[in-house]
Amino acid sequence: MLRRTFLQIAAAARAALAATDRRLPKYRVASHYAAGAQPGMPGPYPGRVVSCHAEKCIDAATEKPDDAVVREMMARGMRALTGDAELRDAWARFVGPSDVVGIKVNCSGAPGIMSSPVVVAEIVHNLIAVGVKPDAIWIYERFQEQVDTVHYDRYVPKDVQIWTAEGRRGSTESYDPATYVETTFFDEDDTRSNLIRLVANRFTKIINVPNMKDHGAAGVTGCLKNIAYGNFSNVARSHSNSETNTYSFIGTLACVEPLRSRTVLQVMDGLRGVWHGGPFSPNRKFRFYPKQIMFGTDPVAIDHLLLDVIEAKRKEEHAVSVWDRSPQHLHGPGGHENNPDVNDFIREPGHIEYAAGLGLGVYDSGRINVTRIEV
Amino acid sequence: MLLAAVAVLLPTLFWDRPIDTADMLRKAGCDRLYVPAGSEGAWRKQGFAASPFNRDSATKATAPKVEYHMDVASATRVPWVDANGWLFERHPANPYFYEVPSGSAALAAAEAFAYGVDAAIRAAPEDLPVLARMLRFLGGIDQPRLPVKANIGVIDDGSDELGEVLNLMARHNLLFHVIPAADPKYDLNVRLGEADYSKEEAANPYEFAMKVRRRLTDEKRLLRIYGSNVVLGRLSGEGSKARLHLLNYGRNTVHGLRVRVLGAYEEGKVSVFDHPDARLEDFSVQEGATEFTIAEMATYAVVDLTGRKDPK
Repeated sequence: MLRRTFLQIAAAARAALAATDRRLPKYRVASHYAAGAQPGMPGPYPGRVVSCHAEKCIDAATEKPDDAVVREMMARGMRALTGDAELRDAWARFVGPSDVVGIKVNCSGAPGIMSSPVVVAEIVHNLIAVGVKPDAIWIYERFQEQVDTVHYDRYVPKDVQIWTAEGRRGSTESYDPATYVETTFFDEDDTRSNLIRLVANRFTKIINVPNMKDHGAAGVTGCLKNIAYGNFSNVARSHSNSETNTYSFIGTLACVEPLRSRTVLQVMDGLRGVWHGGPFSPNRKFRFYPKQIMFGTDPVAIDHLLLDVIEAKRKEEHAVSVWDRSPQHLHGPGGHENNPDVNDFIREPGHIEYAAGLGLGVYDSGRINVTRIEV
Repeated sequence: MLLAAVAVLLPTLFWDRPIDTADMLRKAGCDRLYVPAGSEGAWRKQGFAASPFNRDSATKATAPKVEYHMDVASATRVPWVDANGWLFERHPANPYFYEVPSGSAALAAAEAFAYGVDAAIRAAPEDLPVLARMLRFLGGIDQPRLPVKANIGVIDDGSDELGEVLNLMARHNLLFHVIPAADPKYDLNVRLGEADYSKEEAANPYEFAMKVRRRLTDEKRLLRIYGSNVVLGRLSGEGSKARLHLLNYGRNTVHGLRVRVLGAYEEGKVSVFDHPDARLEDFSVQEGATEFTIAEMATYAVVDLTGRKDPK
């Protein structure tokens, strides 16, 4: 590991936006970590996505997954992504016995929607199969009270660590004081967002397990949002009134080393989905069941497909587009929580294309290669 | 260089209840009192160090606290800090009188101590033990005081408008001195009514304070606090030493408070109220600034930094 400090204004970010007149915040990135020879994002499979669908993977009435079907989806998806005949070989491309692996789950919508325990358990099972020690596997998230509702401990070996950064909301002790993005959005006093210490100092690999969700500020929340906002402190400051800076902040955070280099695999859990009101899911009427899992190393390509899924579902429900920026849909009757035609913020689904401009993956549909598998 | 010695003032409990409450005070550990004029003799006979205090002629200090206002359009809650630092900076020689609800007495004492003002605190009886503990803690902090550090000079016109601006500046840890005339030793001089700082702009004191912040730039700020937006600081220092008082106006303990002080100091130590084993963590010096973390802080902490390599 090189002990260098990178202090930079995100020049690349500005370049990515050269074609627009949007004013971007200035970001200062502090990190002692250099990029790996091949950063995990976009990794060895830029533009490549495997989408595995199974009609029987979840019972939409009870929301109970079929464990055997999900395991089959996981196995076929990973083999298709890598081209390996043996599942063990597929996983061994990403992790080895000496790795300390963080599994970044998403529990912000729990217990309505979260990285499904059966999916997470299957990842753990395969990690152990390639020699990773159970106590070197960390299922992690930011907020304790969200994870507590899921009970991952009931699905994985007892030595697997289940950990959250904020046992007490707002606590910053689990974040690395030397690795952060500094910027001011709305003249806030605390201008830093710090990376989780375990990510900076302990994990050697990270597997990202987002859901398929609409997001009131970012448009959708998938791989990029989960790996970015899910690994840094003090990120809610990017929204105020109807304005959000998710457009550029998500990609900027995802690029911070060592997060970018160590995030080696994306497994998007789409057994359930949220087509409005995300990232939370208190209202079941906005949940739906895509019944698919997407695999890849390119978070941009997967999120572009997610965008299509959410937009199609919203269209089917006659809801306003995630791309809608019109003032008349801001803060309308019923509120965002109840009315799919009401936005709390001007959504920024363009954050995905912006991240492509930072080199995190492929956004151009014509260059995204999707392999669809039916189980 | 000789340290400038300034008289040490400890805040004092104001007690205007009957003399038969003496046992309650003793049990709580309170032995120094301000009392209404004429009753000091009776209290002294009970063994208390009692002095007369005229609450009517003292300047009223606000009960220190945080109020949360819902940001109308977002899910965030915007804290509003009720603090008196700006008032103490403006009128440091005044005596102050706090009348505080239950739960605020210890913070009031720490606030008055941090700013070095003469203050009487009328506390709720249930707050006496924690207030007594805080007063003992404050009394144990090394002296003498060092000159207050600030790099913004504010020329005071005595107006209410400027008072609100000072309040907002203190609230955002923009460290200022109230001065009679512009002084080039400050990085920024602010005079209300000049073209750059019009009285019309002061009608929105928050925006005015943010304008001052932007003009100074965050890089030049003497003090930055990360991990809480309800902790305010007061910085003093001279030569190779600096002292930072930190006051948590919030109801909850802060976990993982990160602090940046401009200036490269070699070492630091911290004393945290009610946390005798506290120490500075992740201490680092980079780009001319010193940073450290305080793992846990409920009400008050004082940090002493030494060995400044670039004394100014």
